[in-house]
Amino acid sequence: MDWQLLGLSFITVFLAEIGDKSQLAAIALGGSSKSPRAVFFGSITALILASFLGVIAGGTIAQFLPTKVLKAMAAIGFAMMALRLLWPELDED
Amino acid sequence: MTASETRKTKRQDNLSSDTDSKTEKSWSFWTVFSSTFLTIFLAEMGDKTQLATLLMSAESQSPWVVFAGAAMALIATSLLGVLIGYWLARRLSPKTLDIAVALLLLVITGLLVGDVLNS
Repeated sequence: MDWQLLGLSFITVFLAEIGDKSQLAAIALGGSSKSPRAVFFGSITALILASFLGVIAGGTIAQFLPTKVLKAMAAIGFAMMALRLLWPELDED
Repeated sequence: MTASETRKTKRQDNLSSDTDSKTEKSWSFWTVFSSTFLTIFLAEMGDKTQLATLLMSAESQSPWVVFAGAAMALIATSLLGVLIGYWLARRLSPKTLDIAVALLLLVITGLLVGDVLNS
């Protein structure tokens, strides 16, 4: 085990993620949700899968996945959550 | 009772208790899990963490060590985020919390739109 590399990647990713949008999302969802544990597990699964894809795909992922489209979809999802909180009436069928 | 529980009860105080349990059911562990998973997964694709992991694993001869380090860092930052959110939720009134969370989600939306436009 290369402990130096392990520590280096831990510190790099940790510092990059502090205050990043996924951590902000964890703060927002963890505070507003009834089950912060579900938010925690959901977010770590997503983050680990995303970095797993980064590791296995090497340099090719950017060419095959339209990340712009994925991010735009995520933006719509977050905007919808925000609107739902501001106007709870929209939530009722 | 947590702040969000109080809020849920307040919103539903005019409904019968059996609709109350129904609503609770619809916000089950898996609903919260999957919506969190989907939005965060989509948001992280092509993000700097993924690119950093990608570059470091390509440079080094041991991609799995990089993966392990990145995974531990992501678990740590998510745990911090959820704990901060939970801590804030117990200190703010439900209404303030709703508005603060909505604004935070809109900030994230803005950051994502910025990413889409800049990339």
